Amino acid sequence: MRRVVFLVVLVVSFIIGSLAFAQETIKIGVVGPRTGPAAATGKAFEEGIAIALDHINAKGGVLGKKLEVVFEDTGGVPEKAASAFEKLATRDRVPIVVGESHSSSALAEIEVANRYKVPFIICEAWHDDITKKNYRWVFRAGPVNSGVVDFYIAPFVKEHGFKKVAIVRENSDWGVGIAERTEFNMKNFGLPFVTLKVERESKDFYTELTKLKGENPDIILAYIYGTGLHFFVAQAHEVGVSPKALILDGAGPPSLWDSFWKNVGKAGELELFMSSMHEKVHLTPTSRKFWEDYKKKFGKDPSDYKTRSIYNVVLIAADAINRARSTTNEALVEALEKTNLEVTTGIVKFGLKLGSYEYHQWMPPMLVVQWQDQKQVVVFPKEAATGGLKRGR
Amino acid sequence: MAEFLMYLTNGLVMGVINAISAIGVSLVVGIMRVINFAHGELYIFAGYFSYHLSLTLGLSPILAMPLSVIFVFLMGVLMERFLIRPTYGDEMYSLIITFVLSIILQNSALLIFGPYPNKPPTLISGATSFFGLFHYGNQRLFSFIISIAILLSVFYLIKRTWFGKSVRAISQDREMASLMGIDHLKVNMLSFGLGAALAGAAGVIIAPIFPVTPTGSSAISLTAFVVVVLGGMGSLKGCVVGGLILGILENLGAAYISTMYRHIFGFIILILVLVFRPWGLFGQRT
Repeated sequence: MRRVVFLVVLVVSFIIGSLAFAQETIKIGVVGPRTGPAAATGKAFEEGIAIALDHINAKGGVLGKKLEVVFEDTGGVPEKAASAFEKLATRDRVPIVVGESHSSSALAEIEVANRYKVPFIICEAWHDDITKKNYRWVFRAGPVNSGVVDFYIAPFVKEHGFKKVAIVRENSDWGVGIAERTEFNMKNFGLPFVTLKVERESKDFYTELTKLKGENPDIILAYIYGTGLHFFVAQAHEVGVSPKALILDGAGPPSLWDSFWKNVGKAGELELFMSSMHEKVHLTPTSRKFWEDYKKKFGKDPSDYKTRSIYNVVLIAADAINRARSTTNEALVEALEKTNLEVTTGIVKFGLKLGSYEYHQWMPPMLVVQWQDQKQVVVFPKEAATGGLKRGR
Repeated sequence: MAEFLMYLTNGLVMGVINAISAIGVSLVVGIMRVINFAHGELYIFAGYFSYHLSLTLGLSPILAMPLSVIFVFLMGVLMERFLIRPTYGDEMYSLIITFVLSIILQNSALLIFGPYPNKPPTLISGATSFFGLFHYGNQRLFSFIISIAILLSVFYLIKRTWFGKSVRAISQDREMASLMGIDHLKVNMLSFGLGAALAGAAGVIIAPIFPVTPTGSSAISLTAFVVVVLGGMGSLKGCVVGGLILGILENLGAAYISTMYRHIFGFIILILVLVFRPWGLFGQRT
C-alpha cells in the first residue's frame, strides 16, 4: 500500500512539475536536415539556435517566458520534411516554425504550413516559388534564386568581363531554378553560355569536366550543393579545367566547411563562392555581437553562414511573438508583416505586395568571395570589396 | 578522339573501383548466403579510421591504411559471431539484422565523426598527361593499380589456397564439408571478416579520391548490390565484369547521351539482365 501511495505521489508531482515547467516556456519549431547529404547544415543550425536562445533568454525571453526550440530533422527529403512540419504543427502545437535549407523540402513544407495555418519563416531555401506562391503563412528572411542571380552572380560575371560561361547544375529544385534564372540573365547580356546537368549524388565528374573542357569557359557557375562541390572543385583541377576557368560555388557553405581545404587541396585556390558573411564585413552591431557570442561559446570563428541565417530567423520569430503579445497565428502574421528588426545582415522588412516572389520576402545583402592564399577576399560588390579578383592561368 | 579515350579510361578506372567496392558483398553472398546491407558502412568506417589515424594521430598513411582494414576486419568478425551466427539457416533474419545494423552504424558515424566529408591524405598528388591528349589524376591511377592487386590476391586466395578450398567446399555443401573435418563456424567467421576487410580496403583506397561522409554509405552499398546482381550472386569473376560494365557504361552514357542520367544506364542494364538472365552474367542457374 505504501508503495502505491509513493508511486501516486511521484506521478502526481511529476505531472504538476511538468505543467508548471510548461507554463514557463514557449516552444517554437525548427526544420532542417540533421542527417542526409547536407547534415552539416543541421550542425550549423544547432549552433545558431544555441546562440540565439542564449541571447533572447538573457534579455528575459518572450512574453516573460523562456524560449525553447523543437528541432525536427528533414533528412533533406521532401516527404520527411512535410511530416516533420506536420509533427511540429499537430504534436508539439508550436505557434511558429523557422528554418529549412533545401528548396525541395521547403516547397513540401509550405503546403503543410498553409494547410495548418502555421506561420513559417524560411531562412535558406532559395527557390522563387516558395514566396511566389503568395501563401499568407509563409515568410522568407533569406536569399531567393532570382535575387542572388539578378543582383550578384550575373552583375559579377558582367562586370569582370568573362567571355564564356559554363553553368553546371544539380537536378534539385534549387539547382534547376537558379540555373534557369542565370540562363535568362546571360541571354539578356548576349553572353555565350553552356549548361551541364549533373546528378545530385554524383561523386565522379571527370566525364562532365572533359565535356566542359571542350567548351573552353572562363567561368564555371557551379550549382552543386554539399560534398559534390568538393569533388567537383578537386577534379576540375586534376583534369586541367581550373584555374584557367574560375569556379564560383553558387551556394557557398561547402566552400567554408572545415574540411574544404583538406578535401580539395591546391584546387581551392582562387575558387569563388557566394556568402552573406565575412569577418571584416559587419553591416550591423548585431552582426558583431553574433560573432563575439559565437567565438565565446564555440572557441572558434563562425564559418558556415547558415549559422547566422538561423540565428536571424529565431530573432525575427521572438520579436514577432513579443510584439503580437500572443502566440495565435493571425496575430503573429500581422506582427511579422510589420517587422522592422535589426538582425546580423541588415534591417528586416518583409515585402507586402502580392503577385511576385517579393511577397513576404526579405533578402540579405550577399557577397562574392574568392579564396586567395587560403584567405577570404570579398571581390563583389565593389562597395564591400576587400581586394581585387585574381584570374588563373 | 582524345575525349573518347578519356571517357574510356575513366570508365575502366571507375569499373575497377566498382569491383573492389562490391567484391566483399559477392564473397559473403557466395559463401554464406548472407546479404550484408552494412557493407557500405564498413567502407565508410575504414575511410574515417584511415583519416583519423593519419591526420589526428599522425601515423604514416602507409601504416594507417592496413591498420584501418584490420579494425574493420575485427568489426566483421564480431558482427558474425554475435549477430549473424544466430541467424544461420534463415536468410530473412540475417537480411533484417544487417539492414538494422546499417542504420545504426550510419547514425553512429554521424555522431562520432560529424557530418562533414573527410579525406585521408593523398599519397600522390597531381595528374599525369596521357600522350598530351588528356590529364588523369595520379591518385586515381594509384588506387586503380592497388585495386587490381587486391582483386588478384582475392582470386588467388579463393582459387589456390587451402582456405579457399574449404570456403568453396562449404559454399557447395555445408554438411558434407563439415563431415570432412572443416570447421564451418570458423570458416564462416573468417569469410565474413574477409568480406568486411575488403569493404575496408575499398574504403581506404577510394577515400583519398572521394572523401567519405556518414551518409555516403547507402550509395556505396547500392552500387555494390547492382554490380553483384549484374555479375551473378556470389561470382567473383562476375563481380569484376559487372563493375567494369557499370563503370564504362555510366561514363559513355553520361558523355554521349546525358550527364543528368548517369546512374540510369546501369539500372537499365540491371533490369535487362534481371528479365533475360535473372541469375546474372556469371551466376549459377538454380
